[in-house]
Amino acid sequence: MSRHRSVFSRLKFKTKLNLGLFTVILSLGLVLGLITTHIASTGLIQENKERALALASNLAYRSEEPLLARDFLRLKGLVDEVHTGNSDVMYSFILDNTDQVLVHSFDQGFPEDLLHVHPQDTGQESVRLVSTEKGTLYDIAQPIVISNNQLGMVRLGLHRQRLEEMINRLSLTIFGLTGTITILALGVASWFSNRFTSRIKSLTECATEMIKGNLEVHSAPELIKNCWEITGCRATDCPAYGDTRRRCWYVSGTLCPIYHPDHAPRNMESCRDCPVYRHNVGDEIQELAEAFDYMAMTLNERIQELSATENELSRQKELLQTVLDVTPDMIAFQDRNLTYRVANKAFCSYFQLSESDIIGKTDSDIFSEYQADQNYHEDMQILQTGQSLSKEISVRQGHTSTWFHIVKVPVYDQGVISGLLLAARDITVIKQYQERLIHSQKMEDLGRLAGGVAHEINTPLGIILGYVQMLLDDVDSDSQMAEDLRIVEKQTKICSSIVSDLLGFSRQSSTTKGDVDIHQSIREVISLVEHTFSLNRVKIVTDFDPNIPEIEGDKDRLKQVWMNLFNNAFDAIESDGQIKISTKLCAHRRRVAITVADTGSGIKQEVLDKIFDPFFSTKPVGKGTGLGLSVTFGIIKDHGGRINVLSPAPKEYLAGMETSTSGPGTVFLVELPLWEMTLPDEECEELTHTRT
Amino acid sequence: MFSVHVFRLPAVLVFGLGFLLLIAACDQGEPHIKVDLSKRIQIKAQRDLDSLTYAYLPQYSHRVSFARHHRIVQYLSAQTELPIRQVFPDSFAQHVQMVGEGKIDISFSNPLVYIQIADRFQAQAIARTVEQDGKSTFRGQIICREDNKAIQNIQDCRGKRWMAVSPTSAGGYLFALAYFQKHGLDRDDFQRIEFSPGPGGKQEKVVQAVYLGEYDIGSIREGTLDLMQDRVDLSAIRILATTKRYPGWVYAVRPGLDAGTVNRITQALCALDRDTHEEEEILAQAHIQRIIPAQDQEFDPIRELASQTGVKWRE
Repeated sequence: MSRHRSVFSRLKFKTKLNLGLFTVILSLGLVLGLITTHIASTGLIQENKERALALASNLAYRSEEPLLARDFLRLKGLVDEVHTGNSDVMYSFILDNTDQVLVHSFDQGFPEDLLHVHPQDTGQESVRLVSTEKGTLYDIAQPIVISNNQLGMVRLGLHRQRLEEMINRLSLTIFGLTGTITILALGVASWFSNRFTSRIKSLTECATEMIKGNLEVHSAPELIKNCWEITGCRATDCPAYGDTRRRCWYVSGTLCPIYHPDHAPRNMESCRDCPVYRHNVGDEIQELAEAFDYMAMTLNERIQELSATENELSRQKELLQTVLDVTPDMIAFQDRNLTYRVANKAFCSYFQLSESDIIGKTDSDIFSEYQADQNYHEDMQILQTGQSLSKEISVRQGHTSTWFHIVKVPVYDQGVISGLLLAARDITVIKQYQERLIHSQKMEDLGRLAGGVAHEINTPLGIILGYVQMLLDDVDSDSQMAEDLRIVEKQTKICSSIVSDLLGFSRQSSTTKGDVDIHQSIREVISLVEHTFSLNRVKIVTDFDPNIPEIEGDKDRLKQVWMNLFNNAFDAIESDGQIKISTKLCAHRRRVAITVADTGSGIKQEVLDKIFDPFFSTKPVGKGTGLGLSVTFGIIKDHGGRINVLSPAPKEYLAGMETSTSGPGTVFLVELPLWEMTLPDEECEELTHTRT
Repeated sequence: MFSVHVFRLPAVLVFGLGFLLLIAACDQGEPHIKVDLSKRIQIKAQRDLDSLTYAYLPQYSHRVSFARHHRIVQYLSAQTELPIRQVFPDSFAQHVQMVGEGKIDISFSNPLVYIQIADRFQAQAIARTVEQDGKSTFRGQIICREDNKAIQNIQDCRGKRWMAVSPTSAGGYLFALAYFQKHGLDRDDFQRIEFSPGPGGKQEKVVQAVYLGEYDIGSIREGTLDLMQDRVDLSAIRILATTKRYPGWVYAVRPGLDAGTVNRITQALCALDRDTHEEEEILAQAHIQRIIPAQDQEFDPIRELASQTGVKWRE
């Protein structure tokens, strides 16, 4: 069954149509032929029977008189007359009311069987089909009745052969005629189906072209006359004017006075009586073709509009993506199911994932279970309450920690929360600035305190030293007294030195500003310590930027800075190491960057933030006062500069140095402004990548 | 959906065609009766029936004669317990002749025929009829076509073609001839006088001949036109004249019939009672109101009329 169905469905529509018409016409022809033959043959048989009955009735009527007069000769004459006057009458005979044969038309004797063909004494006319050796015939019995008295019976035998020949001839004629009409009808139907299917084929070809993308199809026949030609219209601003592709009733916004402005295209109620419509309207297929063309054209316009919109959207999307990607902040969008739909480059980079690894995933696929659970509760609260979230978190990775400012805001679509937008900004630098600012303030307060204390102590110390020196002049230089006074003098000088340092730290000592050649000041300090350092096989290397101009500053105090830094480096190396001193002019020529890197033991992280505090020292008791770096910090700050430390030292600072020594190394970064004694706000590019 | 129909359609067509072929073939299924035409027998000659014969003068067709009188015949047979059958002479002359030959035992004839059989063969009148108008006499009528402008009165019949019923017809010839003679017209004054041809139906043939214009005038007994109203447009017929009344039809028996039988027949005929439903139907069918006893001399006026008109009844 299914095989047949598929075979049929594969047939061409034209073939199906022809087959259908052929079947219908042939069936109709056969049915009509059979019915006509049946009706005609039935009618002929009935007519023949009625004719036979009429013959019998006539014979009966004519037999009444001779039968009453018992004129058998006349009866015989009547019987013979019927027999000889009608070639299809095989026999005739008359019975009296006692069923005795009075006369008959047989030549020799009377066939006895004929007496038993009809039932006895019915008194009714009767027709029986009789089969004899001479063929089939109808035997008619017609009673002779006067005033309800049956005088006798007339019997007729009517051949069926002639009737059958007539029926056969009739059937042949009918079927021949039906066949001829069927063939003619098939010819007409085939011509009609060709006309019909050719137009459908044209539509199909147009549809195929549309599938291929060609929407410039035209399947409806060209108009012989357009609307403006028929009506003599001169409304050139009408959208239908000059439009040969569409029928005017398809054009919306037409200015035609006949067309009702409230009607949409294809609502042609007002067009029915229009001469243009009546002139150009076609049959259903033409209407289909016109609608098809209209559809193709409309589709083409829509596609072009969509294409333009798509291009605009694509451009907007690219722009947005670019904005998202170039922003250093991490930005991501999650839908209501907290599935990531958008993630910018910064977001992907931070988690070291590709965009495809994030899009379509949730936090549980990206973060740890703990973090994902925390995020989920946060996110769900935002989705449910619509309240934004803003927080700062610190993320620790190894030895470094990073601060993020995270903002999560719900995104609304038509008044309903459709997801949430995440923006995370790296605020580590800001945090560091904050810490430094606090530290700086603390140092400034501490310096002010130390300066005040030192200033008050300095005078009594001077008096003590003066009196001690006076006493020394008065006592024997070899006496125990002199010895003790010299100890007092020495310790007083030490105190005085400490006070001097404290005054330097608090910038309360006098400064002498002038043009300073940084390189020269550094070289002078190197020349002082180089020999001492070399004794412990500590080598000093330099990498100076020759473009550095002179700066305004206190040469001696800067030399004190270098000295402190070199000594600290030497102390960290102790022996067998290198100290690298580099200078660099910043790109915008607004500051000088000096780095002092060593291969020493480095500084522990936990004390890294304390090294610039006064009296903080990692050196053994008696080895240092803990004021060196705090004084250095004060001098640099006094010059409007900045000092930082990195430990362990980044590799790039140790490039070219012998690293056979044990320590991870330390690098001090000093920035000094070229003008106006202030550093610019932005970071120094030469040092930024090393910030921790 | 369409493809499913595709396969239902042929099935329906095949079924329909098969059904039609079956209908067409049904003609061949008519029941046959087998008859062997070779088995022949010879037809034996009819034996004459041993019974009394009753004949109605064939003024009308045998069919009318039979229809009118077969119930009287049946009644007589039942009442007299004698076998009686109706015979049908073809003409008035044959009727007269058959009475003479003894082939008619009971004759019902007009008075002119009666005086012939009475005077020639001594037939005996036993009863006479009372017409449906309640009179024991009847009369004749002279008719012509309504549109025959040439005949406005009896004198206009001169030189015209006249069809009469029979030379021995009373109402259909004798009465009219007497009427014409009374008004000065004799046989020779007509272009020709013809009588109804062939056996039976003589009164009707006269009406037909006048209606068709074959003859200008016709003579019939009263009551014939009523009989013809279904076969002829009577509005086209005009009654030109009506004759005097004469004694009506008469029952007579042939000479030599047993007196007891004659008596039983006479009593039976006169006993027909209109108050009895069945007998009333018998009388109505015969167009007779009742039957009364009759004597031969009651028909002397007819004998006189025949003598006057020159009609020969004694040969």
